[in-house]
Amino acid sequence: MSDKKNNVFLEEYENKFLYKKSKTNLNIEFNRIAFIFFIFLVISIIYSIQLLHLGSSKILNEVKPLIIKKNYRADIIDRNGNYLVKTVSSIDIGINPIEVIDKKKLLINLQLIFPYKDYIDISNKLNKGKYFYLEKKISADNYEKIMSLGDKSIKSEEKLTRIYPQKNLFSHIIGQIDDDNKGISGLEKSFDEKLKQLKKPLQLTLDTDIQFLIRKELLRFQNIFEAKGSAAILMNVNNGEILSMVSLPDFNLNKRETIKDVNYINRITKGTYELGSVFKTFTIASGINEGLIEPDTEFLDSKKSIRCGKKHSIEEYDDKMPSDLTVEQILIKSGNIGSVRIVRKIGIEKHKSFLKTIGILDKIDFDIGEVGKPQSIDWYEGCKLETIAFGHGITTTILQLTKGYAVIANGGYDIKPTIIKRHSDEQDKKVKVLKNDVSKKMNSMLRKVVSEGTAKLVNVKGYQVGGKTGTAEQVNNSIYSNIKINTLASIFPTDKPKYALVIMLESTKNNKEYVYEYRDGSGFKLKGSPRNTAGWTSVEAAGKIIDKIGPILATKYEEN
Amino acid sequence: MKKAVFATIFTLILATSLVKNSTKGIEDKIFMVYENIRPLKSELGDVLLEYNYLSSPDKLTQYQTQYFEKDLIKIDITKIKKLTEKQNKIEISNFIKKTNDE
Repeated sequence: MSDKKNNVFLEEYENKFLYKKSKTNLNIEFNRIAFIFFIFLVISIIYSIQLLHLGSSKILNEVKPLIIKKNYRADIIDRNGNYLVKTVSSIDIGINPIEVIDKKKLLINLQLIFPYKDYIDISNKLNKGKYFYLEKKISADNYEKIMSLGDKSIKSEEKLTRIYPQKNLFSHIIGQIDDDNKGISGLEKSFDEKLKQLKKPLQLTLDTDIQFLIRKELLRFQNIFEAKGSAAILMNVNNGEILSMVSLPDFNLNKRETIKDVNYINRITKGTYELGSVFKTFTIASGINEGLIEPDTEFLDSKKSIRCGKKHSIEEYDDKMPSDLTVEQILIKSGNIGSVRIVRKIGIEKHKSFLKTIGILDKIDFDIGEVGKPQSIDWYEGCKLETIAFGHGITTTILQLTKGYAVIANGGYDIKPTIIKRHSDEQDKKVKVLKNDVSKKMNSMLRKVVSEGTAKLVNVKGYQVGGKTGTAEQVNNSIYSNIKINTLASIFPTDKPKYALVIMLESTKNNKEYVYEYRDGSGFKLKGSPRNTAGWTSVEAAGKIIDKIGPILATKYEEN
Repeated sequence: MKKAVFATIFTLILATSLVKNSTKGIEDKIFMVYENIRPLKSELGDVLLEYNYLSSPDKLTQYQTQYFEKDLIKIDITKIKKLTEKQNKIEISNFIKKTNDE
């Protein structure tokens, strides 16, 4: 037994556990997690791509059609950011008498807020039982007071009001809106939808300071020469931007009057006129463009009067006109017969095509709707071509005349006159429509018209003004009247033209008291207008205008 | 591996929720700023309108005649000079070049 106790039994230990890869659900779970992880990864990649796309793409707000708000209309500013039109929302207070509970109490309360109103009239209106306006464009204080009365019969209506801080200054350009926020004239009409959609103010090319100075001088000369109306336009000849556009008489937009008098038309864009000798520039430019004449080409033995067809004869306005003249002298002395001889050389088709190219003949596409249509011309009737050579029997607008002069002066590039400011990337490509040397030759001749010819009074020192005068008789019922349309079409500086300025005075009279100061350095002064022509009216006005606006143009717009 | 996958997913969810939360915070702030800007813009517009009216050429001319005895004079462009700084020296030249025909 004891032996048994002392014995140690050794048995071989056999480990029967074998490690084996589990064949349970673990593998399936891992696949699921990997799948979810993959889905997450895909989603995050899609998000990243979307974020990258949004980050790299441009803001499309301007392209997207915006929701038109009922009581919204964008402001209008000038080229320097000054307000020309500002929208202000106002509140009108009306009373519905049917909902009045205590009439006496209401009248007492109203009397406390509006002590100066006619309460007999208000009481009568309350008795009539029809809805009426108690106060239009109420102040914020009074609005708070009246609404705190808590009377159900008091109704407030939010309205849109357009404020014009420059009063008359841009009346023909901006136009008016009706009570339903709908444009009825000017830019308000032609940009009606855009003004309701635009988020930023609509910026124009006009300069308030220049517009003011031109209007002031034009108004002065309209009074001096007792003109029925007048117009002035200043355009950048290189890009067609209009810096100033004045038509008189004008009206105060803040008064919201209904204008029916035809004398209030926009004389720059709507009125079409026979403008006379300013067209001689086009005749000569057309001849040079066709290579038929040069400034020194001579026209010898011209008669004082020539027959045109069987009925008509064309005469010089001045008996002292020499019979031998070069092309340059024809323009300087404003010769009718010389112009006729030039246009006969050019011929109907070529001259018609030239006038079409510079935008004189067809209705112009402009930013405002009030645009006149030049009369259609039967070129083969009588001596139409001959009269058109010196600006008779052809009508156009002042805007188109200015464009024509700008194209001739700017190197022969087509331009689109505009009053809407465009960024440099929105500018149209320049298209050359005239031959290379036309501008250079024409600018030099136009300068001589001012320094030696009929427009000496606009020879303002330092600006190298070039231009051409035009005195025409107004046509009333197809008959020429004594009423004068005096025009000056000018460009400056002639060595590298930047601006075209056209001044037109309609139905002028001589002024016996006005003193002219000659610009030839002699200091000579002349009292009283010797003649009722453009040279003594529009040219004088243009000279005084350039005196005033010149320093601004030369300094403020030096780089433009 | 399993732990790593779980950790990654958890981190992603956490990061997403944190980013979303902070984005919402920023969006709220932007909204607040926009709402605060709106009345300021309106006020600025009104002040600018007043400024444009009071400083319009018409008003300035009116003030000039009202408060000053002397009339405004026009500037002769030929008398305007141009100052140019070259190597710490100021050169004075005519603003416009005179031409032969003037």
